[in-house]
Amino acid sequence: MKDPYEVLGVNRNASQEEIKKAYRKLASEYHPDKYIDNPLRNLAEEKMREINEAYEYLMKNNGKYVSEEELLYNVRIDIQQGNFSEAERKLNSINNRSAEWFFLMGIINQRKGWYDGAYDCFQKAHSMDPGNREYNQAFNSLNRRNDNYREPYGKDKDHDLCQICTTLYCLDCLCESMGGDFIPCC
Amino acid sequence: MFGYVIPCKMELKIKDYEKVKAYYCGLCRAIKYNFGNMPRITINYDMTFLAIFLDALDSHKNEYIHSNCILHPFKKRNFIVNNSPLEYASFINVILAYHKLLDDIDDDNSFKSKIFSILLKGYLKKIPTQYIKTKDHIVKKLEKLYSLEKSGNVENLDELSHPFGELTAHSILDYYNDEKYQENLYYLGYNLGKWIYIMDAFDDLEKDLNHNKFNGINAVLNKDNLPYNEFRESVKSRINFILTSYARECSEILNSLPIEKNDEILYNIFNYGLLEKMDFVFKKEESTK
Repeated sequence: MKDPYEVLGVNRNASQEEIKKAYRKLASEYHPDKYIDNPLRNLAEEKMREINEAYEYLMKNNGKYVSEEELLYNVRIDIQQGNFSEAERKLNSINNRSAEWFFLMGIINQRKGWYDGAYDCFQKAHSMDPGNREYNQAFNSLNRRNDNYREPYGKDKDHDLCQICTTLYCLDCLCESMGGDFIPCC
Repeated sequence: MFGYVIPCKMELKIKDYEKVKAYYCGLCRAIKYNFGNMPRITINYDMTFLAIFLDALDSHKNEYIHSNCILHPFKKRNFIVNNSPLEYASFINVILAYHKLLDDIDDDNSFKSKIFSILLKGYLKKIPTQYIKTKDHIVKKLEKLYSLEKSGNVENLDELSHPFGELTAHSILDYYNDEKYQENLYYLGYNLGKWIYIMDAFDDLEKDLNHNKFNGINAVLNKDNLPYNEFRESVKSRINFILTSYARECSEILNSLPIEKNDEILYNIFNYGLLEKMDFVFKKEESTK
């Protein structure tokens, strides 16, 4: 959706009255009846649809409109402040799902402990915008945390005797090459 | 969906190994005294874990006895007795076992489950009033889970496993509800419950696909109706990622809880046991090839 203020040609703090006035003026200008037998008819219809949509939106939301970029920025602030349910509500109100949308949704899912959702969202953000550092980093850091958690399990906890022998042998060789001797008998 | 939360035996100290066994036998004994001999066969390790975990939050000293039991008449075993987490776990154990049977009947009309559930039903009357609330809670969460499973429009595995996570979380909170640790206890149970649910679904994937039974992972992720082998390969890393994440979360939360005893057993379960079980299920396929 385009910015409804731009479509109606009014400024951002216009009153309801001003919006109505601007709408009526534009509606009469682009009314389809005026464009019968006119090659610009399709264009006028398109414009009319936009005007109607913008007008309805502003009337329904009491003349408040926040663009998607602003909304996504607000979501980031909510996330930073730990206000996740509000952030999620705002995200859900956006229909256009961009890479950034998926990235932010992934962060929220991660904080909620919904790791399947987070995995899915991060993958989508990555496939839509593979070069984005921020998106890749978020997913990688999650993977790193998992790797750290796995580490003690994967490690061989027993230092066997052979390992000790080779260590001593190497140490002796090193000492001898420097002129000293760690194990005198060999 | 039982028996996944167990310690990694090889990393346990002998004393802790014996302690786990004594909890297991103690739980079996508690079921016997609270219900009767027949329900004893429903005992499982997840409920043993529940008792070990809840008992760990309490500083009192355990009371052991050394005696025979009906299944092992010639070799004496150690039992933990007079232990309230064990009593509590015995009730949860039988409630869950009964509802699992009902679910099996619903799924495939299994004759064995039918007989068994009828036999078990009589014992359920023995649940004391103080646990009725917990039972209703469990039943409510299970109903929610089954209706989600049947609805067929679930977007991701989190949504599907959510009720089982809540069920596990409330099974812990209904026993031990300390305001200071409430949130941590909730999330530990929540993550563990989801881990169990998804683990179980992944473990049963082949069986369920071959018998055309419901499987959570298949229902949510298999959009193109891939055959078993291809599907398993395609979701393997995703499942591995989420299971590890849940397990890691549990292990991180454990550090912030006021653990009074059994700490090495719990550390073992969350840092080795869960991963060992995952290894086992993930490698099961390769070893049969």
